[in-house]
Amino acid sequence: MASTRRDASATADREIVISRVINAPRELVFEAFTEVRHLSQWWGPQGFTTTTRAFEFRVGGEWVFVMHGPDGTDFQEWISWTEIVPPERIALLHGESRGDPNAFESVLTFVVEGAATRIEMHTVFPTKEMRDEVVEKYHAIEGGQQTLRKLADYVTEIVLKGVEH
Amino acid sequence: MPRAATTSDVFNAIAEPQRRQILVLLRAGERPVTELAEELGLTQPGASKHLRVLREVGLVRDRKAGKQRLYGLDARGLRPVHEWTGGFERFWNESFDRLDAYVQNLKKAKQQE
Repeated sequence: MASTRRDASATADREIVISRVINAPRELVFEAFTEVRHLSQWWGPQGFTTTTRAFEFRVGGEWVFVMHGPDGTDFQEWISWTEIVPPERIALLHGESRGDPNAFESVLTFVVEGAATRIEMHTVFPTKEMRDEVVEKYHAIEGGQQTLRKLADYVTEIVLKGVEH
Repeated sequence: MPRAATTSDVFNAIAEPQRRQILVLLRAGERPVTELAEELGLTQPGASKHLRVLREVGLVRDRKAGKQRLYGLDARGLRPVHEWTGGFERFWNESFDRLDAYVQNLKKAKQQE
């Protein structure tokens, strides 16, 4: 099951922590992050595909790819690894292209939990504004043009569904 | 993890059915507390209490209009709900769904080797 939490720390308003338990050994889960033939099979929400232009899994190496949304929209993506500690930790920079001033760093930690593995993805943004921008950008990726302007309608729908129950 | 107080957490605020009903009524426009109370069959202090919670989490704003105070919907307060149901976290939660399925196949393939 998915679970999400936010630490009540000084960075709470500019970080996002996402955690997930995968029922598989840690080495195997880690492996799925290390090769493009694996990554291309699962990266992105349902219905998304990727086309890779360059991939080199090493510190300082890059993954340059295009992410194709189900509605046909393409997104330029750029990943560069800043730390690789098999099978425990991967830190990466995520942006739209090399030198992207808005690139942000995520740290993925892989923790053994019995026969399963907990992945924890910790992303700390330099500022709250940048965090909000990225959240908005990902809304746009998933929802086409869904932006804050449509927020009222969107959430009212949730509220209405709640009332009907 | 300590639970956030009702007054500071939008999720708790909208967990209360009467508060959700207030939000639905405010969709149509600003209303004074007396009208909201009447429509929902609440006492005025009861409605005021709900409005205070909604205001404190940023879902409702109020302004003085002559002798009465009008309450209106402020959808920006729903941002945490919006983020939780979508955006970056949804992107990753869905990616991790796919990762999970993929790794299960990988596991099976390795066992057969």
